[in-house]
Amino acid sequence: MVRIKHRYLLVHILYPETTGPNAKSTSSAPAKPFPHLIQFHRPSPNELTPQLLARAIRDQVLLLYGDYGLALISSSLNVKYLSPATSTAIIRVSRDHFRLVWGALSYMTDLPKPSKLAPTRACVMQVVRVSGTIKKAEEEAVRRARGAILRARREGGEGSLDGFLGGLGGLGGDEEAGRGEGAGGTGDIGDEDEEDGMDGESEDETNEL
Amino acid sequence: MYYDLNVPYDANNHSELQQILAFLAELGYNTIALNHTISGKVPENITSQIPSPLPFSNPSSLHILRRCTIHLSDPAQNHRLNHISSVYDIVALQPTTEKCLQLACLGFECDLISLDLSIRLPFYFKHTTLAVALERGIKFEICYGTGILNGDGGASRRNLISNATQLIRATRGRGIVVSSEAKKALACRGPADVINMAVLWGLGQERGAEAIGREARSAMMQAELKRRSHAGVIDVVYGGEKPEGLALENKETNAKQGKGKRKAEVLESRISEGDVLSKSMSKREQKRQAKKARLEVAKTHQGENESTHKDPAAP
Repeated sequence: MVRIKHRYLLVHILYPETTGPNAKSTSSAPAKPFPHLIQFHRPSPNELTPQLLARAIRDQVLLLYGDYGLALISSSLNVKYLSPATSTAIIRVSRDHFRLVWGALSYMTDLPKPSKLAPTRACVMQVVRVSGTIKKAEEEAVRRARGAILRARREGGEGSLDGFLGGLGGLGGDEEAGRGEGAGGTGDIGDEDEEDGMDGESEDETNEL
Repeated sequence: MYYDLNVPYDANNHSELQQILAFLAELGYNTIALNHTISGKVPENITSQIPSPLPFSNPSSLHILRRCTIHLSDPAQNHRLNHISSVYDIVALQPTTEKCLQLACLGFECDLISLDLSIRLPFYFKHTTLAVALERGIKFEICYGTGILNGDGGASRRNLISNATQLIRATRGRGIVVSSEAKKALACRGPADVINMAVLWGLGQERGAEAIGREARSAMMQAELKRRSHAGVIDVVYGGEKPEGLALENKETNAKQGKGKRKAEVLESRISEGDVLSKSMSKREQKRQAKKARLEVAKTHQGENESTHKDPAAP
């Protein structure tokens, strides 16, 4: 029995620019700017959906590699997981052509837009882990999220993190605020949430195989 | 350890530079070089245009070097490379014509040759020329930043990829350094992404990892050795000096324990001070005395026993 082999890319979406819709809303609360760590790992807007991200990757591959490149990856490309709160995504590609998709991600400079009128937001897609199974990618995501929370606490102090997440909640909506508080409080609630979400998907994966 | 040996320094835009440095540190780079570019005539007396330390706070994990890139278009001009290398940590040349590239490879003293790969170059790279430079320990630099930002509708990206593959073909993948040349934080990519890009250019995974690690480090170390050491070969790394505070402390403890004096003198002084002698007695001495005492006790016992045994036999 021959198995179709895949690679799972764990991607962080980073925001290197200070000017954006979030920066405006937070500037009123504290005078001191947030530490760079928190600025770069900002939550993504809720409009960013897995379908939108997949389409953006397809477009980028088409731009860089043409019809041939798109044909090679289009059957296997799938955005398995996308969390706007942590700006993390897991993308599945076939093992032979994962470098194509990785290259396309490296050349992306802004977030996909839900409509033509929406403002462009500059971002950097950083691939932090390539693994053969979704389980390892998921473990790495949880590990990194935990580490990021600890580092943010250490660098910015408890107060500033709460203020930042609270400010975002007011802007983004109730759901995000709830998540933000969970992440700021214990650090475990958010992680469990992620694991639940992805377990279901990994079961899908095994069924498919 | 990951290196990014080309971050343009702009004296008028410190906030953007601070952002870039923080972002590079976040991506996982350990050493970066701030770049000052000189085009045209090299000034008479050269001073470093990059202040050290920097006038703003930067991530503590980042080691920052100063680098100077000279545009090379007129080979007859005096570039004062020796003066420049005494002021900056790394000296790079950017030849614009084939003649200049040849001269940079064969004769000029520099650490890096950094061609502008985002434009269409009017010449081919020849392996024989580049091989001489590699023999001399000069590295070739590929800057990916202009290809990513892609200001002119893909032309710079196409040129970059085309030139990079040509350069890799001509050098057989040896002595390549990849750096960002990022004018904005947006153009920076993580080390793993850069390695993947190098693989797509045809460099191979191992060589790609070396391009932002070992090769870059060797360029840095060679530049430092050229500047500091004797004849580029001998360098004093550690002269054996002790820190001032440590030496003083040692002296004090020595005086207390009587180190550096003869043993007899120490004993005498202790006796005169009224120190208890048994405290200073060695273990061996203690054992010997204990044995002596035991023997004496045994002797007296024996004497008694003999006398008691003898008594009944006597009559």
